[in-house]
Amino acid sequence: MTGNLRWRLLAAGLAALAAGLPSDGSAQDENVIPGVSLGLVYEADYLRPLALMPFFGTGAEGHAAAVEAELIMARDLRNSDRFRVVDSLPASLAGGGVDYGLWDGFGVDLLVTGSVEDGMGGRTLAVELHDVVYARVLEQGRFPIPSASDAGYRMAVHRAADAIVLWATGDPGAAATRIAFSMRTDPADVATEIYLVDSDGENLRRLTRDESNTASPAWAPGGRRLAYTSWKSGEPRIYERNLADGSERMLEPGRAGQQITPAYHPGGGRLAFALLGGARGGLFEYAVGEDCCLSSLGGGRYRNVQPTYSPDGTEIAFTSDRLGVATPQVYVMPASGGEARLLSPYRYGQGGYFTDPDWSPVSSKVAFAGRIRGRRTLYQILVADTKTGDSRLVQLTRQGDNQDPSWAPDGRHLVFTAEQGVYVVDSGTGRIRRLVRVQGARAEDPDWSPPLPPGNG
Amino acid sequence: MSDSRLILAAFAVVFAAACGGNEPPPVVEPTGPTAEEIERMRQDSIQRAEAEARAQEVAEAERAAREEARRAEMARQTLTEIVYFDYDEATIRSDAEAKLREKIDILRRNPGVELRMEGHADERGTSEYNVALGNERAESVIRFISGFGLGADRFSAVSYGEARPMVEGSGERAWARNRRVEFVVTAGGDDIVP
Repeated sequence: MTGNLRWRLLAAGLAALAAGLPSDGSAQDENVIPGVSLGLVYEADYLRPLALMPFFGTGAEGHAAAVEAELIMARDLRNSDRFRVVDSLPASLAGGGVDYGLWDGFGVDLLVTGSVEDGMGGRTLAVELHDVVYARVLEQGRFPIPSASDAGYRMAVHRAADAIVLWATGDPGAAATRIAFSMRTDPADVATEIYLVDSDGENLRRLTRDESNTASPAWAPGGRRLAYTSWKSGEPRIYERNLADGSERMLEPGRAGQQITPAYHPGGGRLAFALLGGARGGLFEYAVGEDCCLSSLGGGRYRNVQPTYSPDGTEIAFTSDRLGVATPQVYVMPASGGEARLLSPYRYGQGGYFTDPDWSPVSSKVAFAGRIRGRRTLYQILVADTKTGDSRLVQLTRQGDNQDPSWAPDGRHLVFTAEQGVYVVDSGTGRIRRLVRVQGARAEDPDWSPPLPPGNG
Repeated sequence: MSDSRLILAAFAVVFAAACGGNEPPPVVEPTGPTAEEIERMRQDSIQRAEAEARAQEVAEAERAAREEARRAEMARQTLTEIVYFDYDEATIRSDAEAKLREKIDILRRNPGVELRMEGHADERGTSEYNVALGNERAESVIRFISGFGLGADRFSAVSYGEARPMVEGSGERAWARNRRVEFVVTAGGDDIVP
């Protein structure tokens, strides 16, 4: 990539940032943490132009399901930020078969065709990915889908969209996922509950009915369980919910006290959390699968919260004030506890404020929020590489007040909160989209699910 | 003396005067109350005085009870008076220290009283870390009070972080009210000795 193109992409990313978030009117330079380079985690590649041919199905209902599937998939492919999805042609112009010359003439590199078919084994969505330049089918697949009225219909189409991303780029998509977060049920009431929303912003619904404060959702690997913190017993405790049957239990790790910020080990059998309470507190790990074996990861008298595991489960990033200044920093330590090293930037005499670490599920990168003191105190999303330290820290957002980053399973997109809702940023292009609009008190603690297995609605 | 005799005597005096012609009427000596009457009046006045004294006693007791209740209520208010903190900080400010010392005096007189310290943070800072900060504020208050020889087991801490603001909205006016520790009497609250 030429330097010139890189700068143009950077500029485009900034334009997207400016368009995606309300400006607070402060000078841009105020929004950059001193010593931090503004940039993108990836060097964005040229986005290949992609089109979808109108999908078809048999019968009125089958055809309606095909049209709906095409719309869902087109949006997923846009949201993947891997392609420049061009507006499709009406079916009358696109014709019955694939006319590569026609699509080539529109400047399209990749073409997706799809059809809804009812067969012996039930309904399927058959999709093909075409290389228009070489006039050939790159990949094809069949995906079982329920009827369009079924709760699992959209997620089934998202799975087909993720397959297309994988075929075209070699990397997994993140459409067949959900985001869990905490939000007030009523802007005028302090009670908060856990909500779920699909990766495309559809299907927003409330998960908990605790009528208390409920926060910090954490998906278990596999996406069938969710841990979160609730105050419903009178003090914050961690609960684990089975999403298949809705059953829920309070974790009893054998030590009393306030327990917050759960995070699953990538193996799914263990869960790290913070126990508040002076010298008795600290970070702990609990074998949640076997319901036993609490072990201390250290911490002692400092505030230590927000553990997050590395993809191989051997390290934990977390937030602590152990530096002795009033503000928190992000650290990394072995997953069994031990000596921690500072990950967030620290300059002598300037404490800085860095919290909300989330370790990428696929790389050595950790995202977190950093405080920027300008005319208003704001927070922006930063990414550090644990392999290289803070010398390569990059700032993903510049406008508004942004906190609580959580990586998508593609290791490229992140969900975060701003004052007006829940947003997604693509670290590849810098593009930002709003996932959920929230008015009144801000949403908190979004956590992006792993790819959700079929049968998960 | 019966009433009828008294009336007859009165008639006799009136009759004598009417038949007396031009003679000036004799000076009529007023007939004073009899000893019985005096005794009855004395008893009545004693009863009245006693009733008055009793009513005064009751009123006094009521006043004292009201005063006692008022002082107990003041003590309760002193016990549950909110203390505030600086931005990002969990250290006890001097104005908070004065409030806590008043609480300590009451806690000393009321060894049965137990308190729950509820820590809060303002909306700035990130929500999860603010739970830890709110707890640190509550623990900081417990450490201060326990340092005066009061058993730490009488106090518990819970943090709500920034989730339950006292004042909604942004700006230092709201934030200053929201960075706080509230106090809830969890035991021994029925008869607080002021």
